[in-house]
Amino acid sequence: MKFAIIAFIALLPTSLSFTSPSAFLNPSPSQIPLTSSALSAYELVLLRHGESTWNEENRFTGWADVPLSEKGIKEARAGGKLMKEEGMKFDVCYTSMLRRAIHTLWLSLEELDQMHVPINHTWRLNERHYGALQGLNKQETVDKHGKDQVLVWRRSYDIPPPELDETSVHWPGNDDKYLGVDRSDLPKTESLKLTESRFLVEWESTFAPAIKSGKKVLIAAHGNTLRALVKHLDGISEDEITGLNIPTGVPLVYTLDDDLKPVKHEDAIAPLSGRYLGNQEDIRNRIGAVAAQTK
Amino acid sequence: MFAARRSLTPFNRLLSTNLYRNKHTLVLVRHGESTWNLENKFTGWVDVPLSPKGHEEVIQAGQLIKAEGIVPNIAFTSKLKRAIRTLWHVLEQTDLMWIPQTQAWELNERHYGGLQGLDKQETVDKYGKDQVLVWRRSYDVPPPTVDRGSEHHPSNESKYDDITVADDFTESLSTTLDRVLPFYESSIVPQLKSGKTVLVAAHGNSLRALVKHLDGISEDSIAELNIPTGTPLVYELDEDLKPIVQEGAITPLKGRYLGDQDAIRERIEGVKNQTK
Repeated sequence: MKFAIIAFIALLPTSLSFTSPSAFLNPSPSQIPLTSSALSAYELVLLRHGESTWNEENRFTGWADVPLSEKGIKEARAGGKLMKEEGMKFDVCYTSMLRRAIHTLWLSLEELDQMHVPINHTWRLNERHYGALQGLNKQETVDKHGKDQVLVWRRSYDIPPPELDETSVHWPGNDDKYLGVDRSDLPKTESLKLTESRFLVEWESTFAPAIKSGKKVLIAAHGNTLRALVKHLDGISEDEITGLNIPTGVPLVYTLDDDLKPVKHEDAIAPLSGRYLGNQEDIRNRIGAVAAQTK
Repeated sequence: MFAARRSLTPFNRLLSTNLYRNKHTLVLVRHGESTWNLENKFTGWVDVPLSPKGHEEVIQAGQLIKAEGIVPNIAFTSKLKRAIRTLWHVLEQTDLMWIPQTQAWELNERHYGGLQGLDKQETVDKYGKDQVLVWRRSYDVPPPTVDRGSEHHPSNESKYDDITVADDFTESLSTTLDRVLPFYESSIVPQLKSGKTVLVAAHGNSLRALVKHLDGISEDSIAELNIPTGTPLVYELDEDLKPIVQEGAITPLKGRYLGDQDAIRERIEGVKNQTK
């Protein structure tokens, strides 16, 4: 009994910042730690950037460095506000080389009043590269190649769009941002599978060690790199991941154990263990609505 | 043509990357007007935001840097949002939001000790104009200290958890220099030496510390030197990182300001003539 009280009190700081109020008031047996290692829960927050100007224009974006639209800016601020309301405090942030994700991060940090937190940029968090389709209008592409082919390129796990060549303005080798990157690492196209494997390099080398060192990490990135991340964390299948939609501008919070395995939150929406911040019904609607779209 | 950044062949890229290639270029930007500048309060380490005018000033600063064809490769700023926001505006305008950025407390504004948060006029009324002038413009006489019980003591802010400061804390320009220069040497110099163009977005006194060192300005002159807000100050340094006198440089600086030179001179003179 005494041990349970001590453990409960020790869990208090964790429960106040990371879990829902109901967990604090009515801790279930799985949430009262029996060993000291279970007390060191890690937290990871993911944020997908909001609408970009090319989303508005319905163009394949990939590595094209387009800015957020006005709506995307609002989404980012809203995401920041949600994190602020949760009382979240970060030690380090990671984002991609693309301004729509960086701007999303900046706006969130501004809302959180944590602009002083270190930010690291990596191309490995970039959106999946769309090869020769980058810049093309989605509808025109469907008209040209047929709906089924385009669906394959967009939603297959391992079939990438056609490659672009090195004269293309969309080849990363022609962009100064990537001067420090090995030429052989720069994609001419990517599938979700390829995106995942180049993302995981950074997970292993940088993100996981940061989390394990006790730092509170915020990752602001893109639809496909966050898919890669949650697929890895939650062991989601190849089939299921291509259909999974992570709503934009909604912070997704993971609590991880010592082995960086997710601790399933009671508000989690399958197949994820993490929980979204904000109005749960709205979020469920958004996820459902996107799944129902025939694309 | 030389400012184009998306040319296709390696040779064209070499030419186009930077007008200042193979030089050591350091760009300094003092943050724009803050809300407490408007309210005429001693700020120091208090983390106030830019005023609307301040935002505009530094957006312009970014546009000036872009128009000049200067392409920073790495950026440094302080832990205070008015400088960080200044940096972000510049990076947005120059399309360089992705370059490595470091927020360092060593680039913070001078801490104003027990005067932080006080209205400047009220402080003059309380302590007398001369005393306040000494605290503001002397090289090495600091304002009164704050202790650990004060909200202004850095130990009470989690952003400074990594540093240890004295129980009774305050700063003069001299002690500010004592923490700016080692940071310059250890973190900025290696970048310059490796050929990177460095952008520093910081504060009046942390930039005074830097230019005092770069331009060999005396202790007497530095306290009077005013670096206009939101006005990029460009240094080109030789192999030994000594500044090369720029055309249009305004004594005692060897660097040159970007922008309307007449307006800039007026601003520098104007502030000097203010009785404060």
